[in-house]
Amino acid sequence: MGQGSFCYVKGTPVLEARELTKFYTLGKEKVRALDRVDFTARQGDFTVVNGPSGSGKSTLLNLLALIDRPSAGEVLFEGKPTSTLPERALAHLRREKIGLVFQTFNLIPVLSAAENVEYPLLLTRTPRAERRERVRAILAEVGLSDLARRRPDELSGGQRQRVAVARALVTQPRVVLADEPTANLDSATGKQIMELLQGLNREHCVTFVVVTHDPAVVPYAERVLTIRDGRIGGEERRGEPRPA
Amino acid sequence: MTLTIAARNVLRNRRRTLISLLVIAVGLTILSFVLGFVGEAIRATERSLVMELGALQIGDPRVLDGRASGLEGLIPPEVLERALALVQALPGVTGVTSQIRFAGLVGDAEGSTLLLARGVVPEDCMDEYACVLASGRALGDPVAREIVLGARLAARLGVEAGDRVNVATGTAAGAFNAATVTVVGTVRLADSQAEERLGLVPLGFAQRLLRTDGVERVLVWLDDLDQAPAAAAALADSFSAAGVPLGVRRWDELTPFFSSIATFWRAFSGFTTLAVFVLVFFSVLEVLTIAFLERTREVGTVRALGASRGRVFVGFVSEGLLLGALGGLLGVASGIALSLLFNALGLSFVPPGGNMPQPIRVSVGAATVGPPFLVALGATLLASLYPAGKNARLTVVEALRAL
Ligand SMILES: Nc1ncnc2c1ncn2[C@@H]1O[C@H](COP(=O)(O)OP(=O)(O)OP(=O)(O)O)[C@@H](O)[C@H]1O
Ligand SMILES: [Mg+2]
Repeated sequence: MGQGSFCYVKGTPVLEARELTKFYTLGKEKVRALDRVDFTARQGDFTVVNGPSGSGKSTLLNLLALIDRPSAGEVLFEGKPTSTLPERALAHLRREKIGLVFQTFNLIPVLSAAENVEYPLLLTRTPRAERRERVRAILAEVGLSDLARRRPDELSGGQRQRVAVARALVTQPRVVLADEPTANLDSATGKQIMELLQGLNREHCVTFVVVTHDPAVVPYAERVLTIRDGRIGGEERRGEPRPA
Repeated sequence: MTLTIAARNVLRNRRRTLISLLVIAVGLTILSFVLGFVGEAIRATERSLVMELGALQIGDPRVLDGRASGLEGLIPPEVLERALALVQALPGVTGVTSQIRFAGLVGDAEGSTLLLARGVVPEDCMDEYACVLASGRALGDPVAREIVLGARLAARLGVEAGDRVNVATGTAAGAFNAATVTVVGTVRLADSQAEERLGLVPLGFAQRLLRTDGVERVLVWLDDLDQAPAAAAALADSFSAAGVPLGVRRWDELTPFFSSIATFWRAFSGFTTLAVFVLVFFSVLEVLTIAFLERTREVGTVRALGASRGRVFVGFVSEGLLLGALGGLLGVASGIALSLLFNALGLSFVPPGGNMPQPIRVSVGAATVGPPFLVALGATLLASLYPAGKNARLTVVEALRAL
């Protein structure tokens, strides 16, 4: 994977939320999980959305990942509204431009580490030779070259999450979204995963949005948003602000 | 990779897959055995009927259709000659013979009983009766005053080979005639009622007794029974073109009970096929429903990664088809094995309407292998549609939330 292969123009908005609102109906009751949230992730940003359990983090992430639809408001991907797009078009955006990392890793159990990483490239119909090369390179980058043939159940939690990170990055997406990527890992392993994400962000300027309730994740962010009861509170900038 | 994933998922829960495969294989073994058995039973019945009736019969249409007695519609020699020339011109003819059937009385000074006699050409077609001869010998001389009796008739008359009996009948012109003939042998038939009345005499003698030079009907055998309809049509055409006033009937038109027997057997095959289909469908449906629903979260994952609903659906359906193909191969193989084993036993039976014991065999071929395999594929395909569709219809978040 060549240097800067993820880099588009730094600072351009990749993912934006406008007045994003989501209700769930539980019986007769309407739960407002997300309340008029505005949010922008720019190219190269490493954003952490931090909040307690039930604050609406997963709801926000699912909407940004285009796997759920808002009750009101809009998600703009690369500046274009998505609420009117049909499911096919959303799936196309997901496989071409979005990488996803789950709390529970969500690897396909019957596929080896390398095959799991290769899977998104099959969805994008990438030629075989290129698939092989990209899988090899990204596995090396996440430090799993030696374990490429192992099935998920033969890997530790940290190794599985590395495979998942590799799978999210292999298509060279514009943005990688992660929902509690460290929640199922011990703190040392969680730290390694965050360092991996930070390194990928710094080296390739991949845009990351990580939602978490884990305070240990916060130091890796250059930008921290707080969410509470479905509303985004203050924004805190840490480290070097990226040039616009 | 869709197929790789499907194949690995089939192997994922070995115990469950094994049970499905076993159900499919057992169902298919039964099915291919039944199909092979029925197919062979129909063919054996066919063979034995054709051996007795010929593939085609030629005669006065009224006689062939049972609307007139044989003596009312005899074929004169010059018509017979022209008809035989046309028969010989047919392709695939393997045998031709003439017969006269007539009723009369058989007995001695002490009493007599009903005789349903056939005048036959001894050298032409007596193989079947020769083979079921119970005693004595078959007819030989084409004009001798000899008779082969049904074994039951002989017993009733208290005669055996070498004894003499009297045969009386009405002639073609309606007069009375009688002759003394020598019993040369007895035959056994599957049909005991027929055996109690049967007498076979040489055609030449029958003609003398009936005071005619005509014959009642001509039997024609073909090398390929499937050609019988075409041959019958061709012969009927050439008869009417040549002005030969005779009708042609196929063997199956002459034995209406055959088609009902065959229909029964085919219905039996059909029901077995349906039953096995239903068995495979429901057992596979249950297994696949459980297997697919266990993987709902995986569906959510791949959909989140951008896989389409169609891809998810096709993935599950290929898994069902793979299971079906595997079970199909297994079932067909064990069906063949069972059939070959059964054939090695060498059992035999006398088919309805026949006289010669036929081997009970189970045929093995495309007809006994193809349908069962298709049943396995079709049933598993159908069984996979519902759970596959159910999984593919879920929204991504619904699928991801599944346990
Ligand atoms: N499918 C659903 N149906 C009903 N209510 C839901 C549903 N999903 C989420 N909620 C509710 O919406 C609110 C926000 O949930 P969400 O999962 O986004 O929180 P979260 O911040 O991700 O929590 P956690 O840290 O526990 O993962 C909660 O009150 C939750 O109970
Ligand atoms: Mg959550």
